[in-house]
Amino acid sequence: MAPSTDWDEIKRLAADFQKAQLSSTAQRLSERNCVEIVTKLIELKLIDVIFTTDGKEYLTSQQLTKEIKDELYVHGGRINTVDLAKELSVDLNQINASVADIVRGKEVQLVSGYLIANYYLEKIAREINEKLQLQGQISVGELTLQYDLPAELLQHNVLEKYLGKIIIGKQDSSEPRTFYTEEYITRTKAKIRGALMGLLKPTPVTVIINHCNLADRLFMSLFDQLNAPGVLTGRQAGALYVPSCYTKSQNDWVVSFYKQNNYLEYDALSRLGISDPKGYVRRIFPNEDIKFLSTCAIGSQIMEQLETALEECVISKSYLDVVSLLPSVLSSTDIENVLDSLLKNNSKSTTLFDNTVFSNNYIESLKQSCMSITQKKAEEAVKSGKYQQFYLEKQLSKSADHSQGQVDQKAERREERRRKAASGKGGGGTQGRETKTKAVKKHQRSSKQAANDSDSDDASNVTKKSQTTLEIITVDDVEDIIKETLENEGLDDLITQIAEYLQGSLNQTALSIAKETADKLLQDANQSRKQTHSSSQDKINILVNDIKLYEKGLKFFPPDQQTQFIKYLLKTLGGDILAEFCKYAANQCNLSVQVDDLSVEQRNKILKDLSDEYKKPLAALNATLSEQNVELFYQAVDVCLSECGMILKKVDKKKDKILIQNHREKLIAELENCDDPALSLHMAVLAIFTIVTQNMLHASGRQVPAIMAYLKAHVKEDHFEQLQQCQELVTKYLTAPEEEKADFEDKLKELLPALKSTVQEIKKQK
Amino acid sequence: MVDESTRKTLSSIPLLQTKAGPRDKELWTTRLKEEYQALIKYVQNNKAADNDWFRLESDKTGTKWFGKCWFVHNLLKYEFDLEFDIPITYPTTAPELALPGLDGKTAKMYRGGKICLTDHFKPLWARNVPKFGIAHAMALGLGPWLAVEIPDLIEKGVITYQEKTEDAK
Repeated sequence: MAPSTDWDEIKRLAADFQKAQLSSTAQRLSERNCVEIVTKLIELKLIDVIFTTDGKEYLTSQQLTKEIKDELYVHGGRINTVDLAKELSVDLNQINASVADIVRGKEVQLVSGYLIANYYLEKIAREINEKLQLQGQISVGELTLQYDLPAELLQHNVLEKYLGKIIIGKQDSSEPRTFYTEEYITRTKAKIRGALMGLLKPTPVTVIINHCNLADRLFMSLFDQLNAPGVLTGRQAGALYVPSCYTKSQNDWVVSFYKQNNYLEYDALSRLGISDPKGYVRRIFPNEDIKFLSTCAIGSQIMEQLETALEECVISKSYLDVVSLLPSVLSSTDIENVLDSLLKNNSKSTTLFDNTVFSNNYIESLKQSCMSITQKKAEEAVKSGKYQQFYLEKQLSKSADHSQGQVDQKAERREERRRKAASGKGGGGTQGRETKTKAVKKHQRSSKQAANDSDSDDASNVTKKSQTTLEIITVDDVEDIIKETLENEGLDDLITQIAEYLQGSLNQTALSIAKETADKLLQDANQSRKQTHSSSQDKINILVNDIKLYEKGLKFFPPDQQTQFIKYLLKTLGGDILAEFCKYAANQCNLSVQVDDLSVEQRNKILKDLSDEYKKPLAALNATLSEQNVELFYQAVDVCLSECGMILKKVDKKKDKILIQNHREKLIAELENCDDPALSLHMAVLAIFTIVTQNMLHASGRQVPAIMAYLKAHVKEDHFEQLQQCQELVTKYLTAPEEEKADFEDKLKELLPALKSTVQEIKKQK
Repeated sequence: MVDESTRKTLSSIPLLQTKAGPRDKELWTTRLKEEYQALIKYVQNNKAADNDWFRLESDKTGTKWFGKCWFVHNLLKYEFDLEFDIPITYPTTAPELALPGLDGKTAKMYRGGKICLTDHFKPLWARNVPKFGIAHAMALGLGPWLAVEIPDLIEKGVITYQEKTEDAK
């Protein structure tokens, strides 16, 4: 049974199979066919459908719009059209076309490729509000990033639209893109206030802002509402906040410092953070009379103090070291400035050396102490003839100005080079101050080299100036004198400077003294010349007179003996006359004649040196001396006299007598006092001759025998014998050898009183 | 390997359970029943997918099968006769499908119009004995063969369209 049923079953299955194969094929349209059919329909414009990108579905545009709206809703009110195209598998163009339809409905808007529904904006607004409440502050920029939406849209369509409705906060008036909550503002204010309260020194606003984590703008706008204890220097980000307590303490410090010290250093002020010290000082002390210097400002008090000190110094005739009175911070230029203004009024009574003011009186006293040496030096200069020489040279140089010009130029150029070198050295030098001070002041900065330099300077100056000024008193001289005084005062470093200053005036004084002395000397010379003129004239008169008288006396002798006498007469008295002339002429020619009695050589020498006007007549006179002609001599004397502007006085007979008498008396007096036997004899003979002849005789000892011969006829026998004896003894005495001289001398001495008495007797007889 | 659509088609064909050839009397009937069920299912599937491409019937014993198969190319339907026997060693040996009309027209064919199946078919069949049946052989063997060879043959001009030859059917 089983197999049959199996086979039946198989048959049945075969039938089913056939049935299955034949049944249902015809009615089914394949997909391909459908696509073909729809394409055909679209081609024929019988239907209006949109097909999806995969081509599997067809949509009507209404369906698309609906689907877009659904998608929009599903995505929470915001969707990108590109995403939409992908999502719906529809061509983007189709989407855009239907989006334009949707946007027309006002519920939805298209923003930069996004479809955005109003409920989405509302949702954002709510979110923003939450965020705002959380953060306290929100800016459009931030939101733009977060929501990837244009700022414009957020600003106008979300924030401003829902402000006060959904978003509870406040729009920043100065920055409409920022929104705050009230609490945030309050909190920030408190924060800023705290920060500002805490600050004690000027702080850049940026630092505060960074510290408090704020926005610039917010800080600035809130700052005004805060009544902060301080001020801002500006509105920019680089501004400084200056706390009033700082300003106050700054001012306090400045005021108290000024009160205490009466000066303000700019450096100190700028260290306190004051950028314009001068202006600041002016502002703080508007009523004070403040002097502004290059590094500091000085109050009137210091100036007054200085003035008082200066007055005192002038009155007390002392000096004033300004540096000790000024604050130590002043630079040398400042000190100079102060002194300049200070001395403007007082410059007449003071002198400034470096930074020390000397009253002129003090300087004067120093000068006085040098006066003695000045006087001395001046006189020395005159005496040694240095001054006269200099004077003459000066006269000469005037004429030689032309040639000297060149020398000067050269000297100047050399000087200039030296100066350049000196200043160059100064520039690279160790002391900055040196460069500031004038080159003149370098001398007292007594580094050794500088001193040496100045010395050599001086030396060259002297040589150069020697033609214009004579340095009678040197700087060293002055230094030596004032050194002690100044060292006692502790002013050693100013010695050279002062000395130089003094030297100038002292030298002038010395020059004037020298001039005076020289003038006086010249005057004296003139006067003495005048005196010598008359005295020479007198002397010559007397001498000439004497010669005439002696000439008369020698007429008593025989003519052959007369030449001897004339020769002697001319040689002695004529020589005297010539000497007198020579002296006078020398005087006239400014030749110095030290001795009164001139030897023959000296006379000749003078004769040679004389100027021509004197030389000729005197030479002629000299010539006549050696000849035994009195007349020639007289003529020569006359010529000389006229040349010398002298006259020969008329001979007074009476006076002659008196002269002879005087001569006689003089001889006798001399005889009385004479111990020398030869001389006594000589004089006795002369005296007796005078007594006998009433004439004077001028004779040498050699002529004694001739006179004796003459007297033999005129005196008594015994007197003559005595004279004879005396003469013999004298002759023997003079010719005797040395050892026997004593004997003769003794004998003669015994005879002398007798001789003298003889003369007296003869005188009485007459 | 078989392509995706083939695999899909294959998976929708019910697998067979009985391992029996035509000599196995009792069991063969069971096997034959299963063959029919699978074929019905396969045809139904094909029809559902608008992919009907053969007609097949057998003799009483179910050892000889014959029918037609066709292929649509460029909207023209090319129809071929189909016949094959169930071999003695079936189901261990796959049936040798033959298209006698195409005998000598293509290189991919044995004598008598037996199609030359791909290298993949035989191992695949061997692995799936006794689960694969005639339906599988059709889907895995003839289907792909037609899809590959017919357009080629039409291209070469070996086959030409015959106007409405089998329309009567």
